[in-house]
Amino acid sequence: MLDVQGLRKEYGELVAVRDIYFQLQPGDVFGFIGPNGAGKTTTIKMLATLLEPTAGTATLNGIDIVRQPEEVRPLLGYMPDFFGLYEGITVTEYLQFFAAAYRIPKSQRQAIINNVLELTDLTVKRDAYVETLSRGMQQRLCLAKSLVHDPILLLLDEPASGLDPRARIEIKELIRELGAMGKIVLVSSHILPELSDFCNKIGIIEKGELLVWGAVDEIVQQLQAHRVLEIKPLGDAELLIQRLEREPHVGEIEPRNGSLYVHFVGGLEEQADLLAALIHDGYRIAAFREESLDLEDVFMQITKGEVS
Amino acid sequence: MIKRRENPLLHYHLLGFTVNRWKRQPVLYGAVAVGIGLTYLLVFQMFRTYEASLEATLNLSLFVMCLAAPLMAYNSFSLEYEKGTWESLALTRLTAGEILWGKWGAALARVALLTLLLTPMLFIATDLKIKSDGSLLGRFATVVEPTYELYKFASSVALLFSWGALLVSLGVWLSFKLRRTISTASALYAGQLFALALLPTLFAIFEIDTRYSIQDSLSSVNSFRDGFYWWLIAAFSPIIVFYLNPFYTTLMLDNIVFDQYYSYEYVDAMQYIYVGWGLTQSVIYLSWAIFFAGIAYRGVKTKWRK
Repeated sequence: MLDVQGLRKEYGELVAVRDIYFQLQPGDVFGFIGPNGAGKTTTIKMLATLLEPTAGTATLNGIDIVRQPEEVRPLLGYMPDFFGLYEGITVTEYLQFFAAAYRIPKSQRQAIINNVLELTDLTVKRDAYVETLSRGMQQRLCLAKSLVHDPILLLLDEPASGLDPRARIEIKELIRELGAMGKIVLVSSHILPELSDFCNKIGIIEKGELLVWGAVDEIVQQLQAHRVLEIKPLGDAELLIQRLEREPHVGEIEPRNGSLYVHFVGGLEEQADLLAALIHDGYRIAAFREESLDLEDVFMQITKGEVS
Repeated sequence: MIKRRENPLLHYHLLGFTVNRWKRQPVLYGAVAVGIGLTYLLVFQMFRTYEASLEATLNLSLFVMCLAAPLMAYNSFSLEYEKGTWESLALTRLTAGEILWGKWGAALARVALLTLLLTPMLFIATDLKIKSDGSLLGRFATVVEPTYELYKFASSVALLFSWGALLVSLGVWLSFKLRRTISTASALYAGQLFALALLPTLFAIFEIDTRYSIQDSLSSVNSFRDGFYWWLIAAFSPIIVFYLNPFYTTLMLDNIVFDQYYSYEYVDAMQYIYVGWGLTQSVIYLSWAIFFAGIAYRGVKTKWRK
């Protein structure tokens, strides 16, 4: 379990990360969302033990990242946003290098390397030189390197940046698989559709502050306490607006493209009652639906577009 | 028994990519190797034919070392930063000592190899005479008179290696500190130019006649104890700039002769030996080399949280 307790990083006057708290369980795929400069990379680097926090700490399976960095490092895999690979060696030699650096016994290395090559779909490239791989394959190799020592926490900083659509899909599939394998995966990105497919939890950070974190469904539900209903009337929309304004749960009404977008404070029961009342009153309704929120809507509702 | 731990970083820097370069372009690298080999043999033959002096040979060897050694270490850490590989390396279970040894050790091995390649030339440049008994070594010489020449030869090799070791250690530390390959290379070459050429020139402008002052000062040295005090006094004098200059050391090293008729500037050879001329400088270079490696180690330990 990863337990982040009040992680804070200051650079002089600048507070890059402001007292962040969250907890993740094995199998969680956590989307760490925020605009550029929000503090995602700083947080990840602190969790990776590469940066010392100004205050606060985090524990991974009870091991403190601040006081026991050497103990926690074998338990985590890290893929930086700007990463490089040792050149002049083959894919297998590259993985052998890291297997040796993580003190994996020689007798076990080849089997482990075969497994990670298979998992990252790089088996056919095992004898290729590292620098001859495409960007997407290098990304997968970097991930393979991070998996060689079987970490329980994976920190992936913008893993899909700079990839073509196919490579993006492949890396998403891979991350989903890693989550299914019971690893804690923390993925940062500022491209939201990328995360919505495979994250079960998200955290939104802005100006170094974690504005919200939790299960995706729960966050969406919280925000949807203030729902927006799209009602498409047949006939005079003005009459319908006057009728809706008398409803206690209805707030602002915004006519757009022949539909009315109604801010509605209430649950599903109240929604159903409203529809029934309108039909009962003789209004002809061509469409009545709740606008669903996706990660982009959540992000836009929560953030203000500021950087620290 | 201490179990030797595997150091993949040392292996990578020593052999890893070099072996693969050969595998990938055997014709190109083979041709380059043959070219270098033939040039080496030609130079070796020229040194032998024209009986180059130790001063000339050691100066040339030092010049080669001054040019080559920075290239062996100038990117050792900076490339990790520039290519973005340092974080992955820092997170492995390699200790700060193993990381440093992986880079420094590989650079030192290259310095040792270069020294080894230049050693035969130094050998024939000294009048280290070995009986011409038909053996391979014996073909280079006919007279046996090794006492001081052996000292000169050993000092020359030590001087060459230790200067290279100092340069690579400085290079490793600078590349860690500056994080930029180009800055490290510039600093290493500019630093050498300053210390070895500009600074002595400045001293020369102020008319410090080093050649005679060293001989004057050495005249009172009659034991190793005197030699120690001689260095102690020199350490607090501006003249140390010359004494620690390997090219100046070479100049004086060639003055150590066993027969006064061989030199116009005769000083009793034992007086040079009492001050450990050449060897002392080597020890000082090696101490500095260890110092720079030490601060690079400390840097890795603190900055990479190892």
